[in-house]
Amino acid sequence: MREKINEKVGVVMYFSAEQRRALPHVVSWHGRDYYVGEVGYHHTIREGETLHHIYEVVDKDKTTAFRLNLDTSNLFWTLEVVSDGNAD
Amino acid sequence: MEMPINYNQPLVMHIDLNSCFAIIEQQANPLIRHKPVAVAAYDTPGGAVIASSYEAKALGIKLGVNVREARLLSKDVIVLMPDPAKYRDAHKRFKEVLLNYTNRITPKSIDEFVIDFRGSLAIQRGRSLADIGLEIKQKIKESLGEYVTVNIGIGPNRFLAKTAAGLHKPDGLDVITGEHLKEVYRQLSLIELTGINVHYEARLNVAGIYTPLQFLKADANFLKHQVFHSKLGLDWYLRLRGWEVDDVIWGRKSFGHQYALGQKTADRQQLSQLLMKLCEKTGRRLRSSGHSASGIQLFLRFTNRQYWSKGRDTKAEMYATSDIFLYAQRLLNQAVIPAKVTNIGVAVYGLKSGSPEQLGFFDGTRMDKKSRAEAVDKINDKYGEFTLIPAVMANMDNTILDRIAFGSVRN
Repeated sequence: MREKINEKVGVVMYFSAEQRRALPHVVSWHGRDYYVGEVGYHHTIREGETLHHIYEVVDKDKTTAFRLNLDTSNLFWTLEVVSDGNAD
Repeated sequence: MEMPINYNQPLVMHIDLNSCFAIIEQQANPLIRHKPVAVAAYDTPGGAVIASSYEAKALGIKLGVNVREARLLSKDVIVLMPDPAKYRDAHKRFKEVLLNYTNRITPKSIDEFVIDFRGSLAIQRGRSLADIGLEIKQKIKESLGEYVTVNIGIGPNRFLAKTAAGLHKPDGLDVITGEHLKEVYRQLSLIELTGINVHYEARLNVAGIYTPLQFLKADANFLKHQVFHSKLGLDWYLRLRGWEVDDVIWGRKSFGHQYALGQKTADRQQLSQLLMKLCEKTGRRLRSSGHSASGIQLFLRFTNRQYWSKGRDTKAEMYATSDIFLYAQRLLNQAVIPAKVTNIGVAVYGLKSGSPEQLGFFDGTRMDKKSRAEAVDKINDKYGEFTLIPAVMANMDNTILDRIAFGSVRN
């Protein structure tokens, strides 16, 4: 099941100086904290001059996948989609 | 004309990403890996599947079936809409990996590259292409993700490299040399040869050729005069023997956009709005490439599977979206629409470098249109596509989605 959400969410981000990578670490949504287990894909898109980072991640329990959008113009995070990996 | 088989060291590599869109989605979402996944133009029942994972293919969910059929074949199939920005990013990363080896890289599509290793440093250092291929596979995993696999084929020409890439899907790596060329052909049918479609197969059959080995044995003049009735026959004679005939770089001849309608309609006003949006997309690409155009083609496909298409040369050069739309609308007005439209497409051709400075005789000065088009482009560059739109597009939602071309990736 895949559901479009498009809500602002809380995200804790972690920057690893060793790996030179900044990745979402915790996603806080509907009063629950989901610890990121794996980043499946990260890419960027532009809307006009605004750069957005898109992170597709799955939680540590491997039950929920999130598509997150970081708007670099205001550093707001949007949860775009959640999925449990099953057919609709 | 008689040519031997090419026994030179195979130095052409063909790489394609397995089930490209589907595997990138499976990489992005670990929860859908090893499951049947279909990427469809729309997730509605009539949406056509444009890519499917290996698990979905095994269930019969192949390119072209619609979502309804896919769900009948498997209730567990996960249907996703395409994410072109992500696929473009994957293409870019794929290319960056290959550029570490040589700059003689030709993208054949969003998920296919041909690499010519002749004279490359790696070859000069005595490395084998098979060894380089294994390293590329690993580097692609590091760059795109562990779930992403590629097929690699190596041969003395592009045709044999592509043939080799198709021998052991997924995640294959095969080399075809002059020495075992016949052995490979023995395992294939005519239709399995890249470039041989059902029409060519029929032509070959009529000439008494039923297998790739018979095709290989055929005389060059026989292929030219009796089978293909053109130079194509000689090309096939050389291609099958491992000589290069496909390294021609074709310049761009047109810009165009096509759209498969989610909600099919025969309403001319709605079609006109869609057409405007297609013209705007076409115009943006035309202008950003620094061209103007002097011809236009409109294409319509209907629910009764018929299609209508018409082109015309334009008196003046087209540059601004309004120019393109004016001619496209004239063509649309001439169109006979017997049923609801399923696909609409527009393309401009007769490309000329540089923006037009010539004045249209009856259109007033074209320079104001040029300046206006460039000003609108600048605003849309800054604030996003369709921030500033022509009035005819008012009240349209984001109907025409970003789509990705299967063929050319020239811009």
